[in-house]
Amino acid sequence: MSTTNQLLPLELIDKCIGSKIWVIMKSEKEFTGILRGFDDYPFPIKLQDMVLEDVIEYENTPEGRKTTKLEQILLNGNNITMLIPGGEGPES
Amino acid sequence: MQQPPIQQQQQQTSSPTEFLNNVIGRPVLVKLNSGVDYRGILSCLDGYMNIALEQTEEYVNGQLKNRYGDAFIRGNNVLYISATKLRE
Repeated sequence: MSTTNQLLPLELIDKCIGSKIWVIMKSEKEFTGILRGFDDYPFPIKLQDMVLEDVIEYENTPEGRKTTKLEQILLNGNNITMLIPGGEGPES
Repeated sequence: MQQPPIQQQQQQTSSPTEFLNNVIGRPVLVKLNSGVDYRGILSCLDGYMNIALEQTEEYVNGQLKNRYGDAFIRGNNVLYISATKLRE
């Protein structure tokens, strides 16, 4: 009874499907895009690969930031550090 | 004058499995964690993101370095698989 209000962290991300999300990777890479979905299993325990649309990829290099536009990607979940719902990315 | 229904404005969700089913046979860009890009026709792949590409082009720092007829990419190296949207 007392646990019904608790939301697991990944259930929060499930609520973000269809809206913009900012993904920060282990390395000097970031992505922003519309979250289209991710694997059901083993959700909501472990974050797996996710599908993003209208993506901007930000790559931070010693020469400065490089951005790439991508229409639709399947992003490997292994190297994800942080997800920011509604995040506009590093340039906002 | 009618507004389009909301269902038409918002696209349905697309799970990784659906995405993969949609991109088989289409030209894709595969980026590895090392930063190397591979462009080619996706012939097949599995749940580990192991990938078989045809007519593969290897780009290092954005420059074409190699061409392979067929290439197998081990899934652990893959950062993302990118495709252009299907237009109906």
